[in-house]
Amino acid sequence: MTRLSGGLIDHSAPVQFSFNGRPYTGCKGDTLASALLANGVQLVGRSFKYHRPRGVLSAGSEEPNALVTLHDGARKEPNTRATVTELYDGLVARSQNHVGPLNRDFMAVNDLLAPFFAAGFYYKTFMWPRAFWEKLYEPLIRQAAGLGRLSLEPDPDAYDKGFLHCDLLVVGGGAAGLVAALVAGRAGAQVILADEDFQWGGRLLAESHHLDEAPAAEWVGKVIAELSGLGNVRIMPRTTVFGAYDHGIHGAVERVSDHLPNAKGMVRQTLWRITAKRTVLAAGATERHIPFENNDRPGIMLAGAMRAYANRWAAAPTRSQSDPVAVFANNDDGHRTALDLLAKGIPVSAVIDPRTDAKRLGDYELITGVVDGTKGRLGVTAIRVTQNGSSHWMPCGALGVAGGWNPNVHLSSHHKSRPIWDANLLAFVPGKDLPAGMVVAGAAVGQMTTAKALRSGMDAALDSLAGLGITAKPIDLPRAEDTAVTQSAFWHVAGKGRAWVDFQNDVTVKDIALAHKENMRPVEHLKRWTTLGMATDQGKTSNISALAVMAELTGKTLPETGTTVFRPPYTGVSLSVLGGGDTGSHFRPTRFTPAHSWSAQNGATFIEVGAWLRAQYFVRPGESHWRQSVDREVLAVRGNVGLCDVTTLGKIDVQGVDAAEFLNRVYCNMMGSLAVGRVRYGLMLREDGHAYDDGTCARLAETHFVVTTTTANAALVYRNMEFARQCLWPELDVHLISTTDAWAQIAVAGPKSRELLSRIVDDFDLSNEAFPFMACAELTVCKGLRARLFRISFSGELAYEIAVPARFGNALMERLMQRGVDLGVTAYGTEALGVMRIEKGHAAGAELNGQTTAQMLSLGRMVSQKKDSIGAVMSRREGLELDKRRLVGFRPSNPAEVIAPGSHLFAAGTERTMQSDQGWITSAAYSPHVGSSIGLGFLEEGDVRLGEVVIAANPLEGREVRVEVVSPHFVDPDGDRLRD
Amino acid sequence: MTDLAAITALGESAPFRAEIGALTLIENSNLALASLSVPRGQNVPMIFEMTLPEVGQWQAGADISAFWTAPNQWIIEGHNRANEDFAELVKRAAPDCCVTEQTDGWVAFDIFSNDGSKPIADLLEKLVNIDVNALKTGTAVRTGLHHMSVYLIRRRDEQITIVGMRSLAGALCHALETAAMRLR
Repeated sequence: MTRLSGGLIDHSAPVQFSFNGRPYTGCKGDTLASALLANGVQLVGRSFKYHRPRGVLSAGSEEPNALVTLHDGARKEPNTRATVTELYDGLVARSQNHVGPLNRDFMAVNDLLAPFFAAGFYYKTFMWPRAFWEKLYEPLIRQAAGLGRLSLEPDPDAYDKGFLHCDLLVVGGGAAGLVAALVAGRAGAQVILADEDFQWGGRLLAESHHLDEAPAAEWVGKVIAELSGLGNVRIMPRTTVFGAYDHGIHGAVERVSDHLPNAKGMVRQTLWRITAKRTVLAAGATERHIPFENNDRPGIMLAGAMRAYANRWAAAPTRSQSDPVAVFANNDDGHRTALDLLAKGIPVSAVIDPRTDAKRLGDYELITGVVDGTKGRLGVTAIRVTQNGSSHWMPCGALGVAGGWNPNVHLSSHHKSRPIWDANLLAFVPGKDLPAGMVVAGAAVGQMTTAKALRSGMDAALDSLAGLGITAKPIDLPRAEDTAVTQSAFWHVAGKGRAWVDFQNDVTVKDIALAHKENMRPVEHLKRWTTLGMATDQGKTSNISALAVMAELTGKTLPETGTTVFRPPYTGVSLSVLGGGDTGSHFRPTRFTPAHSWSAQNGATFIEVGAWLRAQYFVRPGESHWRQSVDREVLAVRGNVGLCDVTTLGKIDVQGVDAAEFLNRVYCNMMGSLAVGRVRYGLMLREDGHAYDDGTCARLAETHFVVTTTTANAALVYRNMEFARQCLWPELDVHLISTTDAWAQIAVAGPKSRELLSRIVDDFDLSNEAFPFMACAELTVCKGLRARLFRISFSGELAYEIAVPARFGNALMERLMQRGVDLGVTAYGTEALGVMRIEKGHAAGAELNGQTTAQMLSLGRMVSQKKDSIGAVMSRREGLELDKRRLVGFRPSNPAEVIAPGSHLFAAGTERTMQSDQGWITSAAYSPHVGSSIGLGFLEEGDVRLGEVVIAANPLEGREVRVEVVSPHFVDPDGDRLRD
Repeated sequence: MTDLAAITALGESAPFRAEIGALTLIENSNLALASLSVPRGQNVPMIFEMTLPEVGQWQAGADISAFWTAPNQWIIEGHNRANEDFAELVKRAAPDCCVTEQTDGWVAFDIFSNDGSKPIADLLEKLVNIDVNALKTGTAVRTGLHHMSVYLIRRRDEQITIVGMRSLAGALCHALETAAMRLR
C-alpha cells in the first residue's frame, strides 16, 4: 500500500473493488486510478499499437493510458478512464488490449516490430495488392482496431434526457467557476454550475495552497453550501458539458448513478440540452508532458497529477512508499510537486530542470539537465539523467513530468474560433469569435494563479450579467497564492530512442519526424498520417507537444505551424445517452386508430404505415398463410360486405367564404363547383406539374369542406395547404385545421353495405335516389351519435365511409360487425384494400410516386383549363405532355405465373436495356376475382396497346413474365356497382 | 344519447390515472375542445362572456376556457362537456366564426402536484425544451415532446395540462409516466 495520510478521501469508509479479478480496498472519495495507486498498482494497461506497459498518466479526463473495461456481461463498458471513475463498493474493472495476463502480454511482440509500424503504416502497407483489401486487410484492421471490446449485447441500462434553461451557465467548478457562480447566484440570476468531477473545487483540491489561510477545500465547501441554498442556482456535479452549439445551446451528460453500487432500475446517465443566455467557460487547464526516450513506462506521470494524487487522494505514485520520486520539469510548477511530495513524506530524489536559471524552491536536489532514458519493464525503476554531457542512472519509483499547462480552450473553439498563441504562457488561449455569449475565465484563459483565476471568474460573471441587464456586485475574494510561474520553451529531449508524444496512439517524436520527411506537415495531415490526437483522449496531453516538434522540424514558429480547432464532444459521450433512452417499441411514437383494440382482439396482423399501425389482414382459425386471409376478405367484400378501418386517411377541415376558391387553386380539378352534400375525387399536383396526392373533397356546407388525403401524405398536404393559405394567397379568407384524429372512419364496402348501414343510421334515407354515389351528409347513428357519411368507394363496390367521433370508433366497429352477421360482414385490412383497388384500377402510393403525371394516370383531363391551380401550367410543359406512358392493367399470359411489382416492361423481342425500356409495373397482387396475378403499370402508349403481349422483366431475380396489356379496371369497368 | 360505449384515447373504458411521488397524472377524457377561427375583417368575439387570450396565453372562464393556437385561432375548452356536441355550442356562441370539433382529436393529461410547483418543473424539464420559469400560470405553448407535438397549458402553479394527438396517446402517456417515475 502507498496510502498516505490526509487528503480529501474518507479513510474510515473502505470501498472494495477488483481489478483484473484481484480484490483491492480503496476509500470513499477515491477514483479507480487513485485507489489503484494507493494499492501500489502502477501497471494498468497496454498501449494500442506496441502493447507497451502503461500506467496512470494524469488525474483527470485527459487520461490517455489508464483506460479500463468496467462491469461484466451486457453492462461491460470498454475504454473507461480510471482517472475519472468514481470508486464504489463492488466495482469490477479489467485492463484491456492484451493477450494473456497484463504483465505478460503476448502481443508485446509488436514492440519488437515497431520499425514496421511507423507513421503512415496503414496507408503504405494496405495499398496493394488491391484484391486483398476487402478479404484480408479490412478484416485484419477491424480486428486490430480499438482498445476494449464491446459486449455486443443490448445495453440494459436506462438513459434519460432533459432540457434546462438559464441566464448563466458556468462550465467548471474550480476557483474561477465557483466565484462566477457565486457572483451570479447572489445577483439572483438563473445559474447552472456544472463540473465533470464528483467533488467541487477543480484544481484547488489538488494543490496544497490555502485560501484565507485555510485549506482551499474549506472555502470550496462554504461556497457550495451557499450556492446550494440559493433557489436560483442549480449545481450539477458529475456533469460534463461536452459541446457548445448554436444559440447558446450546450450538450451535457450527467452521470446520475454510475457511482452507485446498487443502481438497478435507476437512470444511468442523463443527456441535458442546456440553453444559456450567457456562458462562463472555466474549464481549467491540462498539463503537458515532455517527450524523452522511453517516457511511457508506468510510474511516469504528469507532475500536477502526482500532486493531485498526494494532496487530494492521499496516494503515492510509487509501488512502495519508500521508493523515491524524481521530477523532470521545464517550469516552476513542476518544483511544487517536489515540495508537496516532501510535505507528504515521500522521498524526492531530485528535480531535473533544463533551465540554467531554475531555482530550488525547497529541500531537494536540483539538477540542471534532462531525463533522457528510463528503465523498468513493468514500471519505472531508474531514470537516466544527463547533465553537462554526462549521464548517470538515478533509481526512482516514479517520475513526475512537468512541461507546462495548456488552457482547456475546447468549448471556446466549437464554433470554429481558432485559439491564439500566447508567447509568454507558451500555450494557446481562446481566440476571437467565441460562441455568442461565452466568456472564458480562469486557467482556461491563461490566468494561471489561484488569485488571478478567482478574479477572472468574478469579472467574467460581472461582464456576462451586465450584458443581460442584471445588476451584480463584486464579492470579497479570498486571499490566494499569486506567484507567477516561469517556464521555458523546452518541448522534448532530443535522442535516438523512441520518445512518446501521444501515449494513446503510440505516436513518437520519430513518427512526427517521418511525417515531416514525407511532407505530411500541415497539422491536419500530421494527425491523419500518424493518428496523433485521435481516439478517446483526442490528444489533450499531446497535441501541443506534437505541434512544437513539427515547428522545430519546419523551422517555423508554433502558431505558424498551426493549431487544432476542437469539435464536440469534449470527452467521449456514449451512444446510449445520445439516444436519450427511447429504445425498442418506444424508439419512436406509434399512432393507434380508435378501433385498434377491436382489431387486435380479432386476429389482426398489423403493419406500420408511417407512424400508424394498421390492420393488414385478419387471421381466422384454420388460415395458415396470409393469402388465405386476404383472398377470403376480398371475396367477402365483393360478395357481401366488409369493414375496413380507414381512420388514418388525412382529414382537413376547410372553412371560410373563400374556401371554394382556395380548393380550386389547390386541386388541379374543379372543386368550387361541387354542390353541397356531394363529394368529388381530387388530384393535387406539385409545383412542377407532377401528381403528388389524391383523395376526396366533401362539401358539407357552402363554406365548409372536408378534404381527405392519403395516409402517407396527410401531414405534407396539410403543411402545403397552410403554406398556400398563409404565404401564397393571404388575401383569401380560409381556415384550415386537421381533424384526422378527431374522427374514426370506417369503410363499409360491398353489395350489402347499404343494408348494413341502414341498420345503424337514425332515420336517414340511404336509397340510391336520396343518397347517390358521391353523396355526403351529416347525420346521426346508433341513437343520436353525430356522424358523417360519404358514399365513396375505393374497392369498386357499392361502398360508404362513415365517420364518428374517435371515442366511438371501436364501438361502431363492434356494432357493425354484430349487426352484419347475417350479411356475412367481414373485417378486412390494408392488404385486401390494396388487392381491391388494383382490381378496380385505382391509383395509390405506388402510382403517385412523385414521377408521374395526371396524364400518365389517364387523369389528364382532370387538370382544368378553366382555372389556374398549383402545378397546372407546369403540367402542360412539353416534357410532360409528350410523355406517352399510360396506366394500364396487366395479366400474365400463363395465369400460373406471378407478376412482380417493379418489373420493367419491354416489347417482345427487344433487348432488356434502358433504351428499349417501355415502362414498369407499379403494383401487383393475386386477384381472387380474376383468379390470377394481376398488375398495374405505366406503359408507353399503353392505352392503345390493349391486347398486346409484352415482357415484364425482373432482372434482379432473373425472371420474366409474358403479360397481356388490359384495361386497368379488372372489376366492373363501367362502374355499375358503385352507382347501384 | 347514443347506445355506443365510448373508450378513452388509451383504448380503455376508464381514464388513466397514476399517482407517482408528488405528482398525479389524470387523463381528462371529459374535456371538450373546439377550434375557433375569426373570419377576415371581423372583430375577435367574446365567447361565453370570456375575452379570448393573447398570443401564448390561456384564459380561464367558469366551465369554459380557451388558449391561443395561431393568429386569429383559439381552442375553446369545455370542461366536463366531452359528451356534448361542444362545437355546435361554440358555433352558436360565435355564429360568424369558423368552428371545428376537436374533442376527439386530442388527449389531455392533467398533472397535479401536491408539493408546490417544483415537481412539475422537474417533470417538464425532462420532457420539453421550454424554460419552465417562463411557463407561468396562464401560459399556453405548443412544443415538441418525444417527437410529438403537444400543447402545454399552465392552469396553476401546481397543475399543468399536456394536450397531445389522440392517436399518440399511448406514446405520450408512456413518456409522462416514465418521466414522473424517474423523478422519484
